[in-house]
Amino acid sequence: MDEVINRSSTIARELKTGSGAEVGMQVLKESQSSGTVGDIYVDDPRMTCRNVNVYYGDKQAIFDIDLDIAKHQVISMIGPSGCGKSTFLRCLNRMNDTIDICKVTGQIKMEGQDIYDGGLDVVPLRASVGMVFQKPNPFPKSIYDNIGYGPRIHGLNDNKDHLDEIVETSLKKAGLWEEVKDRLDHPGTGLSGGQQQRLCIARAIAVSPEVILMDEPCSALDPIATAKIEELIDELRENYTIAIVTHAMQQAARVSQRTAYFHLGKLIEVGETDQIFTAPRHRLTEDYITGRFG
Amino acid sequence: MHTSTLIIVLLGLMSLAYYLGRKRSLNLVSGRVRDLHSLPSYYGLHTALWCGIPAILLLVVWISFEGSVVTSLVVDSLPQETQNLPPERLNLVLNDIRNLATGDIVSTTVDENMQQAADHYAGLQSISNMAMFVVALSLAIMAGYIAHRSISRQQRARNRVEKAVNFFLLSSSTLAIFTTIGIVLSVLFESIRFFQQIPVTDFIFGLEWSPQTAIRLDQVGSSGVFGAIPLFAGTFLITLIAMVVAVPIGLLSAIYMAEYAGRHFRSLAKPVLEVLAGIPTVVYGFFAALTVAPFFRDMGATLGLGVSSESALAAGVVMGIMIIPFVSSLSDDVINAVPQAMRDGSYGLGATRSETIRQVIVPAALPGIVGGVLLAVSRAIGETMIVVMAAGLSANLTANPLEAVTTVTVQIVTLLVGDQEFDSAKTLAAFALALVLFVITLALNMIALHIVRKYREQYE
Amino acid sequence: MNKQQQQQHERSMSRVEKGLARRYRQERNFKRLGLGAILMGLLFVSFLFISIFANGYTAFQQTFVKLDVFYDPEVIAPVGETDPDVLSAGHYGGLVKATMRELFPSVTNRRDKKKLYGLISTGAAFQIRERVMQDPSVIGQRESIWVPADDDVDMLIKGHIDLSLPESDRRIKDDQLSWIQGMQEDGRVEKRFNTTFFAAGDSREPELSGIKGAAVGSFFTLLICLAISFPVGVAAAVYLEEVAPKNRWTDLIEVNINNLAAVPSIVFGLLGLAVFINFFGLPRSVPLVGGLVLALMTLPTIIIASRVALKSVPPSIREAALGVGASPMQTITHHVLPLALPGMLTGTIIGMAQALGETAPLLMIGMVAFIVDIPGGAMDPSAVLPVQIYLWADSPERAFVERTSAAIMVLLVFLISMNLLAVWLRKKFERRW
Repeated sequence: MDEVINRSSTIARELKTGSGAEVGMQVLKESQSSGTVGDIYVDDPRMTCRNVNVYYGDKQAIFDIDLDIAKHQVISMIGPSGCGKSTFLRCLNRMNDTIDICKVTGQIKMEGQDIYDGGLDVVPLRASVGMVFQKPNPFPKSIYDNIGYGPRIHGLNDNKDHLDEIVETSLKKAGLWEEVKDRLDHPGTGLSGGQQQRLCIARAIAVSPEVILMDEPCSALDPIATAKIEELIDELRENYTIAIVTHAMQQAARVSQRTAYFHLGKLIEVGETDQIFTAPRHRLTEDYITGRFG
Repeated sequence: MHTSTLIIVLLGLMSLAYYLGRKRSLNLVSGRVRDLHSLPSYYGLHTALWCGIPAILLLVVWISFEGSVVTSLVVDSLPQETQNLPPERLNLVLNDIRNLATGDIVSTTVDENMQQAADHYAGLQSISNMAMFVVALSLAIMAGYIAHRSISRQQRARNRVEKAVNFFLLSSSTLAIFTTIGIVLSVLFESIRFFQQIPVTDFIFGLEWSPQTAIRLDQVGSSGVFGAIPLFAGTFLITLIAMVVAVPIGLLSAIYMAEYAGRHFRSLAKPVLEVLAGIPTVVYGFFAALTVAPFFRDMGATLGLGVSSESALAAGVVMGIMIIPFVSSLSDDVINAVPQAMRDGSYGLGATRSETIRQVIVPAALPGIVGGVLLAVSRAIGETMIVVMAAGLSANLTANPLEAVTTVTVQIVTLLVGDQEFDSAKTLAAFALALVLFVITLALNMIALHIVRKYREQYE
Repeated sequence: MNKQQQQQHERSMSRVEKGLARRYRQERNFKRLGLGAILMGLLFVSFLFISIFANGYTAFQQTFVKLDVFYDPEVIAPVGETDPDVLSAGHYGGLVKATMRELFPSVTNRRDKKKLYGLISTGAAFQIRERVMQDPSVIGQRESIWVPADDDVDMLIKGHIDLSLPESDRRIKDDQLSWIQGMQEDGRVEKRFNTTFFAAGDSREPELSGIKGAAVGSFFTLLICLAISFPVGVAAAVYLEEVAPKNRWTDLIEVNINNLAAVPSIVFGLLGLAVFINFFGLPRSVPLVGGLVLALMTLPTIIIASRVALKSVPPSIREAALGVGASPMQTITHHVLPLALPGMLTGTIIGMAQALGETAPLLMIGMVAFIVDIPGGAMDPSAVLPVQIYLWADSPERAFVERTSAAIMVLLVFLISMNLLAVWLRKKFERRW
């Protein structure tokens, strides 16, 4: 019953925003086929994903996912391990391209441009959709060079002073400046795990992306470092769109505004974080939230 | 009768001993294996080991010392004036006697004494042979019999056999140590004798190498100068050329294979490149001397350059080709050891492949690559056949790759191949050179292996 | 703040776009560089193989000349003679010469005659002697037989002699050329498969030389090498991997093995010279000493490969065996070794291939002697294939160049088949736990 109401409200919105009735009908069909519970649409999307399928060789890992990612919001993706949430995240900046056997079909649009369109270049895409990984992966270079790496390869800085400035602001935004400002020439690998992860966030920020993807960024960290990162994510929301994959439900609850629940490669339910955690509509979501599996 | 016959007979005896030992143990308990301390096969093995090992040990010792014992007996029987000959002349005589005894061609005319000595030699040889046969076989039978008698219900046959096997395992593993010690001792002793004749400083810092010592005292001109600098310089020059060829090609192809090549291309190109590693060095030497050196010489002639037909360039380039797969497989290993997370980090920022390779992967893999290159250098320094066949013999102190130079290994080969008296400075010089070679390659290996190990630990 | 961020992002993106063309050009160039390196390597491989093949394939054929020999009883022995001693003492060289004179009666001058005789290999006389000793009844009869031509004639027929050179610079003179042409027109010259190459030992005459002696020598040498290095190598690996406690001593052994693997092979030759020949007084040039030296040299390879094979056997297998009460030694011999054996064999084959191609240490222990006889055992003086190649490569005759290349081809066939065997073994028994 809820589903029907929900979908009709979506159609109403589509009609209101003037995308036309045909589009609305099509959306209706699509969301029926994907079978996701909840509102996959948002008012002001940064990225829109339609009918996304991912295959590893013959094996299909992601089935027909439709999802919008809103601007200046944190969306978290949760689900049991192997549910495809990380795979989906890696589609958003085409990190899956680095895996030979991986094939992605469907549409992922950013600012109206399909990122899997042949004409689109992956280099500027990744410059505007940055990524932070599960394990902190600073380069075996100095802290300064770690941050400077992105701006340098993209040619973002005019001169050394400008680069210094970029490094400083990035580190400040990542909340790391005070801790490392006296040892910028030390190797990045010498920092603690939490610092390394913030260094990686600063490294992503340094190229001024619009979206930052985070793939279980705290799974290798202790609780204190995790708290710091979560705080940081909340601050970053103001300037960036953030999609975070996590297996810690509390983390999703703490940092995100929207939550998407994945199960066996399918997007089961998506909605406001509060709603997902307090009143899940799908049985599978409820079982996961209440800890029956995971 | 051949020694191989004896070994076959011994093996036969051992299997007989195994069978008998096993059978006796079973008879003791009338087939109830449960009553035995060990399985019947262990009793069999125990008997067989007792039967075989003492006899085989005896055989090894016998063969090792037979030659020297027989020779010294023959020398004793020679007329006094022959015995008083200088050692190298005496050796020639002995050689003739040996040849005469085996029915080969002899270099000098055969006199009465020689014929007698040869007969004596042949006689001693056959006596020794017979005695070895008899002693070894009776030892085998006796020891086997005793072991067979000693079988009892409580005998801890399994433990004994396992102890023997353990001992074999332990001694096998220590063979590596003994080999190293053997190398060090054999090279060191001769080198010390060399340095008693030629001062170390002359050897290490001398600028001229001309190892022809006078054979007769009244000979002029060839006094023998042993300054090894030209050899070190030549070795260095050829090694450098080899590295200039091998490192870029090896490294770049490893990078391409690891980061760019599709699976099909890789599965095709990799084994073909690895073929280069399996080709014997003598083949490279022939290739260098027959094809590459004339090619460079002709090309030089067209360009108006005088390229020696034994140029360092030809030897170095071919050596470089030989080392390409070595460099590329070592680099491949270290490049693959760079964690994927490092690549992801770079790609995630929007770096292209080449930017990732040049600015992240290669710097991260650098220690490993350096280690690999050091190993390659050590291999180039120790490489022998290519330079023996394609580089020169005369020691030129030059940095010009178009001229002929000689190397340490070439000199070792020329000094030691062919007839030589064993105590002259000329022969001993080869061992001194080998000592230098061994020390340098050992040091390079130690450093390289250390670097590579540290590098691996970093990413494990 | 949001606005500012948006602007900054747009500024960045426009800069990124601007740099794209240049960066992709760099990317393409770098990729080309890598591909170029690989192609260069492949080029070297093919160049080497083509050069060897082009030089060597002709050696598998040999020029033969048909002679109508009259088994002259006056030169050999009276008709009906069967005593081998008498038969073998006949002057067969004269027989060949007489036949040649008969063929070209116009040649009378002594010097010219000598040139004429030079067209036929000295082996022809031995071949005729063999024939007569086999069947003494041919004495007094006339028979057409094919005998090997001299190597210079062989080279001429194969087109390796440049006829545009002035006569004085050629190994075949003008009158010899005309004689050969005469014989060719009579159908007396023919190229046949070179069986000598596979059936004979070394010789000073290229047309009589073959690789059998060296191949047999290589076989004995490898046999000794295998008999020592395989059991000892496996035992050492088992000790280090399964039995030994991890302590200083085993660390030392391990470092030692790794270092030995990279010691130049020539140093092993010096070790052999000092220890086996000078200290133990073993004879020079024999496969026994060669095998011992090569065994010491290949030992590190085999130990390292065997240890890798043992490491890949999962601990659960050992625990299972120990759990049912097997002794540690039984666990190893019954369970671990059979599983690790294919890997060990692969390593051993690769080690043997290395040993088969090795030359330098064998030069040190005197295996460079000129040996005609085919060795009958590990204590007979002999050459080995790579040394034979080295010796032939040093010979000035053009005919030895093609024989060297042909010997290399034979050696490479052995090596490649050994390596393929190793690859096949690894593929067949590869197991993922």
